[in-house]
Amino acid sequence: MWGLRSSRTVVLLAAAAAFVIVCVLPLVDMLAAIVRPSTGAAALRTALLDSRQLSLLSTTMIVGLGTATLATLIGAPLGFVLARITLPYKAALRIALAAPAVLPPYVVALALIAAAGDVAFTAGGAIVVLTVVFYPLTMLATEAGVRRVDPRLEDAGLLVATPACVLRRITWPLVLPTVTSAALVIFVLAISEFSVPGLLRVRVFTTEVFTAFAALYDFGLATVLSLPLLIVSVGVAACAAIVLGDRLVTARRSVGGAPGDAFDAWRPAAAVAAGVVIVAMLIVPVTVLVGEAARSTSISALIWNSRRAVVNSLALAMVGATAATLLAACLGYARARATATAGSALDALWVVLFAVPSTVVGIGLIGIWNRTGVFGVLYGTPAMLVLAYLARLVPVCALAIGATIRTVPESHEEAAATAGAGWMRTMTQIVLPQVRSGLLAAWVVAFILAFGEVGTSILVAPPGESTLPIRVYTLIANAPPGDAAALAVVQTVVILCPLALLGIASTHRRPA
Amino acid sequence: MTSPALRLTHVSRRFNGQGGLTDFSLDVSSGETVAVLGPSGSGKTTLLRLVAGLERPDRGEIWLDGRKVAEPGRNIVPANQRRIGFVFQDLALWPHLTVRRNLEFVADSAGLAKADRATRIIEMLQLCRLEPALVDRYPHQLSGGEQQRAALARALVGSPRLLLLDEPFSSLDPDLRVTLRQELASLRRQLQLTAIYVTHDAGDVEALADRTIAIRKTGSKG
Repeated sequence: MWGLRSSRTVVLLAAAAAFVIVCVLPLVDMLAAIVRPSTGAAALRTALLDSRQLSLLSTTMIVGLGTATLATLIGAPLGFVLARITLPYKAALRIALAAPAVLPPYVVALALIAAAGDVAFTAGGAIVVLTVVFYPLTMLATEAGVRRVDPRLEDAGLLVATPACVLRRITWPLVLPTVTSAALVIFVLAISEFSVPGLLRVRVFTTEVFTAFAALYDFGLATVLSLPLLIVSVGVAACAAIVLGDRLVTARRSVGGAPGDAFDAWRPAAAVAAGVVIVAMLIVPVTVLVGEAARSTSISALIWNSRRAVVNSLALAMVGATAATLLAACLGYARARATATAGSALDALWVVLFAVPSTVVGIGLIGIWNRTGVFGVLYGTPAMLVLAYLARLVPVCALAIGATIRTVPESHEEAAATAGAGWMRTMTQIVLPQVRSGLLAAWVVAFILAFGEVGTSILVAPPGESTLPIRVYTLIANAPPGDAAALAVVQTVVILCPLALLGIASTHRRPA
Repeated sequence: MTSPALRLTHVSRRFNGQGGLTDFSLDVSSGETVAVLGPSGSGKTTLLRLVAGLERPDRGEIWLDGRKVAEPGRNIVPANQRRIGFVFQDLALWPHLTVRRNLEFVADSAGLAKADRATRIIEMLQLCRLEPALVDRYPHQLSGGEQQRAALARALVGSPRLLLLDEPFSSLDPDLRVTLRQELASLRRQLQLTAIYVTHDAGDVEALADRTIAIRKTGSKG
């Protein structure tokens, strides 16, 4: 429909080039550094001979498996509740249940330290904190998965079996691939997390990578230590992508008509469970944090002294989120109009890139940009932070926007083309307006993630340039707990505001 | 006087104040097949879902074999205890189970002894003219006609007292539709089925129905 000489070719090629430079090249360069004799070989020998590797591997796996299991046990039943049980104020309930996902993990860790003291400084503590921030992923994935199960399949079962039996033998097996994939993704995110184990002094691969680079200034060792983490993350993420295929991300909300009310007999239990989870996962951590902040004797001075970090964070997160959304919109469009095989391959690539641990991304970015010539121009400037956000966020935004653009039939473009419109006009007036809520959601998610990002930022931030997460993270180590908590509360408020706005917008758009 | 196999008295079911069924009454005798005709949105599918117990009436009562099973706002007898076979418009074959396991799920839930299940399943498949070789295939591995037969076999394997069919042949090509219609007519005679058949097709009515009722969009019976 669109010729090779249309503006589409130019835009998509430019987007693809930007994607390769920002997201792929750092990783490729880092992998190349491992086999390079000057940097990698000696470090590889050191790392292989280090007996601590086994202990690092086992702790990393314990944190990953523990988090994935606990998050699935909490999130999957709640996802079913949201999809199939009639509850009052369900949209608000969904937002409250999902809210912990946008809390920076180290902020939750801070709350756990304040509440539990020394007990928090264990792998178990890390599992609890990561479960709090990751269970919403299982919950939302399960809800989407259950909504994709045709309610008629359950109706056919309800004619001969009890709701519990139908749930066990019809609904659950159909939604199992989705739940499994969500668990795999959470496993990857948990083993890729740097801030929580770093804060709770749990030694895992991500913390060792950071130490090797930031404390020992050993780029080669940091690179080599990234390798096992990268292999596990990428392998598991690829498995998740293969298991789900085209269903990895979908904007389709439901099929086969409205579900009945057969499961509504469980409404009281569901309401109690949702209430308990909201209290335990959102209200308690935030209250503990506020209580801890109240103990700070210099809140106003602290916030005043951190104003530059706050402004920096807001500005950089906005620029990063906007750039990530624009780039992801082009990539998402290309994915939506690709063949089924190419589309699935792109989805898998994005999942894999999103799974790359934050400290590994940081090391990769330094490897690419810390050099002389054209690539060196940006190093040591705030632009590195924007590049870090892009490297972390473009894959996940492209995944989400691609799924949204797939809901716009290609015939809409064909109609515009036959009416004489060019590609650019078709995009701006036909395609993108239909997915504006998806674009807005992607921007909000990107902003929230960028605003809370610490693992990559702490490695690439130029000297003297700080963001709020870096400042909170630094204060945790060097200042009274109340001071760090006070800034963490500020950060939480800034993060929860756009989420609340998005929630209000979606509540007004459609009923629960 | 014996009570009808199915009785609906002044049944209404509305969705947010619109659509659905309004003040609908019907008696169906044992062994009788009633065809229900009506335009889209007239409440035909809602009627079947109410009888099956998948919806609750807002008003009116539903009786099965002389026993009240639903009253306003409440299903007295839940769907899984009504012994009803239902062939859905989209068939609703469980995609993660083979044909055999689709039927086993129903036979098991209907309380059929384990020893009798295999025989009963084979019997049903033969009755519905589904090749035994297909029994271990998944629904997506079957043709459209084979899926229809499997859905019918699944609806019958639990020996339902009432069979509900919601335009089961609507997506088939005309030739296959005629073949399956004839097979269903013969099956109906053979098993003396009590059935409600929702359709748009006059040919279906002629071949299958003892009686025809039409629902207008207001929900009244014609």
